[in-house]
Amino acid sequence: MATVSFQQASRIYPKAERPAVDALDLEIADGEFLVLVGPSGCGKSTSLRMLAGLEEVDTGSIVIGDRDVTDSPPKERDIAMVFQNYALYPHMTVEENMGFALKLAGISKDERATRVREAAKILDLEAYLARRPKALSGGQRQRVAMGRAIVRNPQVFLMDEPLSNLDAKLRVQTRTQIAALQRRLGTTTVYVTHDQVEAMTMGDRVAVLKDGVLQQCDTPGELYDRPANVFVAGFIGSPAMNLVTGDAVDGGVQVGGAVLPVPRDQLTRAAASNGTVTVGFRPEAVRLAAPGEGLPVRVEVVEQLGSDAFLYTSLADAPDDVLHSADLVVRTEPRSGVTSGQQLWLSTDRSALHVFDAQTQQRVD
Amino acid sequence: MATLAPPVPDAGRSPSPAAPPPRRRHRGGSKAGKPGPVTYTLLTLVALVSIFPLYWTLVAGSHTNAEIAATPPPFLPNASLFDNFQAALEQAPIGKAILNSVLVAGSITVGTVLFCTLAGFAFAKLQFRGKGLLLGLVIGTMMVPTQLAVIPLFMMIAELQWVNQLQAVILPTLVSAFGVFFMRQYLISALPNELLEAGRVDGASTFRIFWSIVVPVARPAMAVLAMLTFLTAWNEFFWPLIALTTANPTVQVALAGLGSGYVPQRSVIMAGTLLGTLPVLIVFTILGKQIVGGIMQGAVKG
Ligand SMILES: Nc1ncnc2c1ncn2[C@@H]1O[C@H](COP(=O)(O)OP(=O)(O)OP(=O)(O)O)[C@@H](O)[C@H]1O
Ligand SMILES: [Mg+2]
Repeated sequence: MATVSFQQASRIYPKAERPAVDALDLEIADGEFLVLVGPSGCGKSTSLRMLAGLEEVDTGSIVIGDRDVTDSPPKERDIAMVFQNYALYPHMTVEENMGFALKLAGISKDERATRVREAAKILDLEAYLARRPKALSGGQRQRVAMGRAIVRNPQVFLMDEPLSNLDAKLRVQTRTQIAALQRRLGTTTVYVTHDQVEAMTMGDRVAVLKDGVLQQCDTPGELYDRPANVFVAGFIGSPAMNLVTGDAVDGGVQVGGAVLPVPRDQLTRAAASNGTVTVGFRPEAVRLAAPGEGLPVRVEVVEQLGSDAFLYTSLADAPDDVLHSADLVVRTEPRSGVTSGQQLWLSTDRSALHVFDAQTQQRVD
Repeated sequence: MATLAPPVPDAGRSPSPAAPPPRRRHRGGSKAGKPGPVTYTLLTLVALVSIFPLYWTLVAGSHTNAEIAATPPPFLPNASLFDNFQAALEQAPIGKAILNSVLVAGSITVGTVLFCTLAGFAFAKLQFRGKGLLLGLVIGTMMVPTQLAVIPLFMMIAELQWVNQLQAVILPTLVSAFGVFFMRQYLISALPNELLEAGRVDGASTFRIFWSIVVPVARPAMAVLAMLTFLTAWNEFFWPLIALTTANPTVQVALAGLGSGYVPQRSVIMAGTLLGTLPVLIVFTILGKQIVGGIMQGAVKG
């Protein structure tokens, strides 16, 4: 078990114009479960592979524990990795797959068998030890891949989208199992996913990447409540946060024909660069207001989920140019009686507003 | 001469023409559909055509020159086969030649499969400087005709005093450009990078990865390469004829010395040929099923 630290670590692929991972700074505590999340191509896998030693680090360095491993090969890093497609050795049995690393480490046959059996017990794989991977279901293969990592009792677990090949139900199930297993073993874990729900539910902290640049690294709660910039605000949360951009006017931000009230000092600072401000509010922070008060919207679609309902609305009097950025989602009571086509007025609590400088995209408090 | 009969599918009962129309979708030739009588007839024909030369060798080898030349020619083998065998064995050291050929073709096969898999793996999956250029060179050697290399090669083995020694025919063909390319192509598609990366993370050296991960994955292709290489090496004539003498020949060189005289004794030649072919035939009859099995297994798994 160990800490992990990325220090200004960059990876520039040959012939690429910009770095796949750009000056990444990340401190991961001992025993922490850190999730790397971001859209496709943002450099999550590359970061993980840099930590694994499978990808070169062009500038900066990577430290595991108190050892600088920037130039060490994977086998000197004492890490175990779970691959997206599991990468089980097809010609070895489950037992051999799980014991391969131990065998290479020169561990005796008896101890190998004991440790493999222990891991198999934890993962409920005892019945399959003699099988080859091709005779296993997807979920079982996934567990073998996990088993291969845990028998080694490494300093760090690395997992690259280990659940993406499972069906939705199994994914949710396995998600909790992995999180529980990690807490039980207490091994520092770096987990890559593009699924923000996975990130929020599993991680002690979540690092959001975009275009190879770290946007924010925080606890799921902080990430949700205080996104550092417009990208994080829009990425975390489902349905996504409502984001509207408009000119700063007296008392708030001009959205279509209405003004969204924003506290004065926040507004001044957010408008400092070019006078436009982006305001965000989550669907659950929206209240239906009395007619004539707040933002007038037209309900396009009503989505009934049973426990609650989502209204997908558009600004009623929006000029064409803001229409695309002004589709507002509202969470309401499941049986509010609202129907599509209806006109509504929305208002939000000031405390629930997220204010961003539209130019720099950064949060203003 | 070695003829591999095409595999005849397990003869399930062929449907009679009056059988009710199949219930499966007919169009697009569904894979599950049973082959019809046309397929069987065609396959039988192909099998017969492939087997005929071998059968004729047997027939001709068991008659005298005069009997072969008769019209109509004989169609059944008879017992003089053994007299002709005896004549062949007296005229050329066929026993020794078979032993030599087993040694030569065996070493070449082991060497070629090993080295081509190593090189193919390197070209397919390892990163090193000059890879493209080197691969180009390897492929380029395929364009140089063997005949062109014969004189320098002979001068070299003469210098080494290897004339008439088996290493003279083994060493120059211990690796083949075709084999390297073949293994490279196979490994590029059959061996996922993640498997190698998993091996590296598990702590394996490159060589260990080769033995424990690459070779098992490459086995089907190695079997095919082994089969092709063994046959080619067994049938090789031109270079062994130059490098060896009839005192220490391979099978093909020994056969060349058979039945020579004013009137070539065709029946003795045929009997000798049969002797020289039998070992290959036996090996492939026994191993064929396993080799084909290996190929199929790999294909399905991939
Ligand atoms: N071997 C490579 N050579 C060149 N560019 C690469 C290579 N691997 C990845 N890239 C580029 O680096 C960037 C980051 O890739 P990476 O695989 O880390 O993305 P990711 O965040 O894991 O995405 P995904 O969620 O789709 O897996 C991408 O723009 C990709 O095109
Ligand atoms: Mg990825």
